[in-house]
Amino acid sequence: MKRPKKSKFDSRPTIDRLVALRPRVAAFLLDWASWGYIAYGVMYLLNKYWYLRYVNFYGRLTLPTWGWPIVILATLELTLLSHAFAQTIGLSLFGLRLLGPDLRRIPFSQRLKRYGALHAFLLAQPIAPFLRRPIGELLHDGNPTGRMHLVAKVKDDMPPEPPEKVWLTYRGLFLTGLLGLTFWLGWKITTINLGMLVERIGKSGHIWNDLFTPHFTYLTNFVNERGHLYSITYHMMETIFMAFFATVTGAIVAFPLSFLGARNIMGFNKFGWLIYSIMRLLFNVFRSIESILMAVLFAVWVGFGNPFAGAMALFFHTIAALGKLYSEQVEGIDPGPLEAIATTGARRWQVVVYGVIPQIIPSYLAFTLYRWDINIRMATIIALVGGGGIGTLLFYFKNEVGRLEDAWNQVGAIIVSIVVVVWLLDYISARVREKIG
Amino acid sequence: MDELIRVEHLTKVYERGEVLALNDISFTVKRGEFLVLIGLSGSGKSTLLRCINRLIEPTSGKILFDGLDVTGASARQLRQLRRRMAMIFQQFNLVKRSSVLTNVLSGRLGYVRPAASAIHRFPKEDIESAIANLERVGIPEQAYKRADELSGGQQQRVGIARALMQTPDLLMADEPVSALDPATAHSVMQYLELMNREDGVTVIASLHFLSLARRYGTRILALKDGEIVFEGLPAEIDKEKFKEIYGEEAEEVEVR
Repeated sequence: MKRPKKSKFDSRPTIDRLVALRPRVAAFLLDWASWGYIAYGVMYLLNKYWYLRYVNFYGRLTLPTWGWPIVILATLELTLLSHAFAQTIGLSLFGLRLLGPDLRRIPFSQRLKRYGALHAFLLAQPIAPFLRRPIGELLHDGNPTGRMHLVAKVKDDMPPEPPEKVWLTYRGLFLTGLLGLTFWLGWKITTINLGMLVERIGKSGHIWNDLFTPHFTYLTNFVNERGHLYSITYHMMETIFMAFFATVTGAIVAFPLSFLGARNIMGFNKFGWLIYSIMRLLFNVFRSIESILMAVLFAVWVGFGNPFAGAMALFFHTIAALGKLYSEQVEGIDPGPLEAIATTGARRWQVVVYGVIPQIIPSYLAFTLYRWDINIRMATIIALVGGGGIGTLLFYFKNEVGRLEDAWNQVGAIIVSIVVVVWLLDYISARVREKIG
Repeated sequence: MDELIRVEHLTKVYERGEVLALNDISFTVKRGEFLVLIGLSGSGKSTLLRCINRLIEPTSGKILFDGLDVTGASARQLRQLRRRMAMIFQQFNLVKRSSVLTNVLSGRLGYVRPAASAIHRFPKEDIESAIANLERVGIPEQAYKRADELSGGQQQRVGIARALMQTPDLLMADEPVSALDPATAHSVMQYLELMNREDGVTVIASLHFLSLARRYGTRILALKDGEIVFEGLPAEIDKEKFKEIYGEEAEEVEVR
């Protein structure tokens, strides 16, 4: 049997090589992406100011068919250039340093060679599968790590980089440029126009006037044309209880779930890890869906304007948000007492009851109260999508603008009541949290 | 005197960092002994103690406790074995926000009916013996205080009371007095000695100070880089042995 010829330079299996290559590829792609972002930003701004011809009627950036490959190649070239000559952001972010095989700073002439080598490396990629030796070795120039290995993973025994003024390095300048570009693009894309604020102040003047002279006519009751009874007090109670219900039930459900989502409790075997991962995924997914989006669903389900819809939406979001916060608390506890209780021959859940719960109760209470604050504020606007509560009244009067003489004054009254109630409840919960903490 | 613990070829490798913490260690502990482990920080004392009750899973080797296999025990068997080996810790490891009494009672968790313990109910005789044990370590008046209101020495005594609740055959003490001042250290060590002499509890304690080891130990086991470098009576440790265990530059410090 013919044995495959063993490479003299590197006998690591291919998978290992690929794994070792991973941070370098990631760094490369990141740097390429940032150059691409710069290219996009520059073209966008050119479009805004000089109306270049490769911008279509809607202000979108278009390029002729040959333009795109050119942009891609140009950014690629810039990436290669920066990768050969500078410690780029991508390299820094993935813990790589541009060093020679002797772990020294690379002189300019060698960097130039490296620039060429990078080209050869990329150009050779299409034929790489047909080569017997890895391309890195083909570029080998007398040192065992090969030219393609001039980027090194940062280790403890490396010579430290001399301290530099970070704003004078390539990295610092590039980062500053990126931030500047982003700020400029943000300004343009969100069409910020400070002049407009001043210009139009007169047009909204009467609204401000009305808002600040609130009419509390419907503080206790009000019947609309369909015969529905409304009042600020009633809807405020609805709001407070909606938030209260969602917080209490959400906390009760999140409490046991938080142990399932804590690494130090569940990390005892593979099965535990599985449950932990699922719980964390669920928390993250449900937390990222804002409660107002969930309210849309529940409003359709149980009826538009029904506070039950808002309560359900807040309930689900509370479970996810508190579950995450709680389980992070569980992960942050002192492991010593758990060890001590396990030593007595206690069961796993007894360790939780005697070792974990006493440690987390204060922060659980604080987080629950904090969540109650958030839920109150959320409950005031959840009516925007039919979730019920004080918002129902707010948006009712806002829509009456033009038909009702004092609509803005009514809105003002509702806003004032919201501010008073939210401030009061915030204050109380802050005081309680102080006491606990 | 028959043997209580037999450790055979115990090896522990920490996978992260690939550290060889214990390297093929074998020894036996007889019933009623006061065995002191000495050695530098990182020599494997804590790892050894935690392997005996499997707070840390040994990589290989065998541990027999009173003739029962610890290393091969199922979760249920391990719980029953752990009831008989109590442990006290350098950082006391009390649940700080719970009362002293609850901390002491948690020593009974392996014995009580689990359903009752879920709602913090303990049998009357357990509560009585908890108070009695607090009296034994001299702090009965602290029973209803929160554990973190106590001083370090008092906390360690609560730890001892918790261990006493297990009515153990073996008491392991992982640097029990390292966080205490010399005077308190002696009083805590004396309680351990009392347990050893009066109750016949076998004690394995790791200590930093050789003077304490000499004063309290009936036998000494010295570890260095995960291996046993000395095993014998306290009096046998002379200057040379000391240098071998602690390195050339070490100077002996006395705790009185």
